[in-house]
Amino acid sequence: MRRFFLSWAILFVFFSLSLFLALSTGPVRISLFALSARDQSILLNLRLPRALSSFFVGGGLALAGAVFQGLFRNPLADSYLLGISSGASLGAAAALVLGFTSPLAMFTGVSFFSFFGSLLALSLVFYFGSRDGYFSVFRLLLSGLGVGLFFSSLVAVLMIMAEEELKALIFFFMGGFSSASWETAWLAIAFVPICVLIAFYYARELNVLLLGEETALSSGVSTKRIQAIYAVLAAFLTSVSVSVAGLIGFVGLIIPHMVRMAFGADHRILLPFTFLLGGTFLVLCDTIAKMVLAPSELPIGVVTSLFGVPIFLYLLKKERGEYDL
Amino acid sequence: MERNIVLQVNNVSFAYERALVLKNIAFSIRQGEFMALIGPNGSGKTTLLKIILGTLIAREGEIWLDGKPVLSYPPKERAKKMSYVSQQAVAGFPLTVEELVSLGRYPHEERFGRKPGEPQAVEDALRLTDSLPLKERKFTALSGGEKQKVLIARALAQTSYLLLLDEPTVHLDLYFQLQVLNSLKRLCAEGKSTVVAVMHDLNLISLFADKVLLLKSGEALAFGKVSEVLNEGSMEEAFGVKVAVTEDSQTGAVYYLPRKPPP
Repeated sequence: MRRFFLSWAILFVFFSLSLFLALSTGPVRISLFALSARDQSILLNLRLPRALSSFFVGGGLALAGAVFQGLFRNPLADSYLLGISSGASLGAAAALVLGFTSPLAMFTGVSFFSFFGSLLALSLVFYFGSRDGYFSVFRLLLSGLGVGLFFSSLVAVLMIMAEEELKALIFFFMGGFSSASWETAWLAIAFVPICVLIAFYYARELNVLLLGEETALSSGVSTKRIQAIYAVLAAFLTSVSVSVAGLIGFVGLIIPHMVRMAFGADHRILLPFTFLLGGTFLVLCDTIAKMVLAPSELPIGVVTSLFGVPIFLYLLKKERGEYDL
Repeated sequence: MERNIVLQVNNVSFAYERALVLKNIAFSIRQGEFMALIGPNGSGKTTLLKIILGTLIAREGEIWLDGKPVLSYPPKERAKKMSYVSQQAVAGFPLTVEELVSLGRYPHEERFGRKPGEPQAVEDALRLTDSLPLKERKFTALSGGEKQKVLIARALAQTSYLLLLDEPTVHLDLYFQLQVLNSLKRLCAEGKSTVVAVMHDLNLISLFADKVLLLKSGEALAFGKVSEVLNEGSMEEAFGVKVAVTEDSQTGAVYYLPRKPPP
C-alpha cells in the first residue's frame, strides 16, 4: 500500500516536471517567471496547446490500449487493431490528396476527415462484427482486421495519386505535435476527459469481465452493455488521438503492460494510473523530440520507442512469471 | 419439516439451430440439497446449467428460482441468489487471489463505498476452499488445482444460496476433491447453500450427492436419489458401460466399479 501511494506521488512529481519542461522549452528561450507580451503569446498559443494535446493524446491512447486489452483479455490488443487508425489515415489522406476542406470552421481539413474516417471505420467494424445485435470480441477483432486492411489499401492508392501532398501525408503517419494549436487541441481537451471518466466509472465491471463472459454474466454484470460501452469508448479515444496527432504507436500497447506489471490488473487502479502515465510519458517524449535536434524535431514515434522500449524490456525481464504470457 | 423449493425446472426444451439439445427436462430441488448432473459428453449438461443460469433462453418451459421465473430477476438480484463456476479458468491478467475472489462480491457492492462485512465473505470463501494461504499470490501463477479452488471461492464469496458448478473437481487431486466437495456438502447441510454440479465421478456422486439427474441425448433418463438412479442398468443404458455396484459392509456407502469393455 505504501508503495502504491509512493508511486502516485512520484508520478505526480513527474507529471508536474514534464509539464514544466514542456512549457519552458522550445525554439525561443522564455522564462516562465518573467514573461514579456511576446513570451506570453508563445506560451499560451503554442506551448500550452501542444503540452495539453500531448498529455491528453498520450493518456487517451494508453487508456484505450488498457481497455482493449482488458476487454479482449488479450495482451496484444491495442487501439490500432480494430482498424480505427486505418480509417483515420484514409480520412487524412483524402483530405490532403483530394483537397477536401472541413465543413466545420472549428476543424482543420485533416483533423475533420481523419476523425470522420475513424468513426466510419468504427461503425463498419461494429456492423460486420455483430450478429443479431450482439458481437463477440473475436468477431470484432476479425472484422477490425478486415476493415483495416481494406482502408489501408485505399490509402495506398491515394498515396500513389499524391504529388507534393505526399510529405504532409507521411508527416501524418509519423504522428506528432509540431503543428499543435488550439484548433486541434480542443478536440482532445474536450473529449478525452469525458471518456476517461466513463472508463473509470465502469472499472469494476471490466474487472469482473476478466473472468470471462459467462462468469461475469452470472455475477450480475450486463456484459453486452459494458463491452459495447468500452469498445466504443476506446475506439473513440483512438479517433480523437489520431485526428489530433496522427499515428503514434507504442503508447497504447506498452504503457498498460508497464502499469500491470507494477500494480496488477485491477482496473480501478490500472486505468487511472495508465492514463496519467501515458499522458506524462508523451509530454516528456514530445519535449525530448523538440529539444534533441533543435531547431528541427525528431518524429515522436522515434522518441517513444527509444525511451520506452528499454524500460519496458527491463520490466519484462524482471517480471517474476506472474504475468501469464 | 421440508425445506423450500429453490430451483424448479419446468419442462425445459432447448435447441441450437434445429438440433434439439434438451427435451422436456423437469425436476425441482430444495434448499440444502446437493444435486449432481451426470451424462455422456454432449448430453446437454452444460446447456442445462446455462439455461438455469439465464445465459441461454429455453425454447419451451421455464426455470423458477426461489418462486419466480429466473428471467424476471434483474441481473444483480439474480446474482445474489445464484452463482456459477464454469469449466474453463480464464483471467489471463495478474489479479491476486484476494482480488479475484473479491469480484464475487460485485452484486452486493454499491458503486460508491463498500458494504460492511464484505471482507468477511471473501475470507470465509477462501477458508472454505482451503485457499487462505494463496491470498496474496497472483492467480496466473497458480497450478490448475489451485486455480479451481480459487474460482470456487469466488463463487462462494457471492454468498448466493444456489451454486451451479460445471465439473468443479476436474483439476483437483484426490485430497482436494474430497475436501472441496465436503465443504460444499457442509454448506448444504447447514442450509446455507444448494448445489447443482456437473460431475463425472460416480463414486464422488455417491459420496456427496443427495440427488442425481441422469441425462442422455438431451433427455432425462432418471432423476432421484443416487441409489435409485445410478445402477447397473442405467449406467449401461446411458454410457454403454458395465458397472459393478458394491456396498461397503462397514459404512454402507455404495461404490461403482467400471468393467473393462470387451476388446
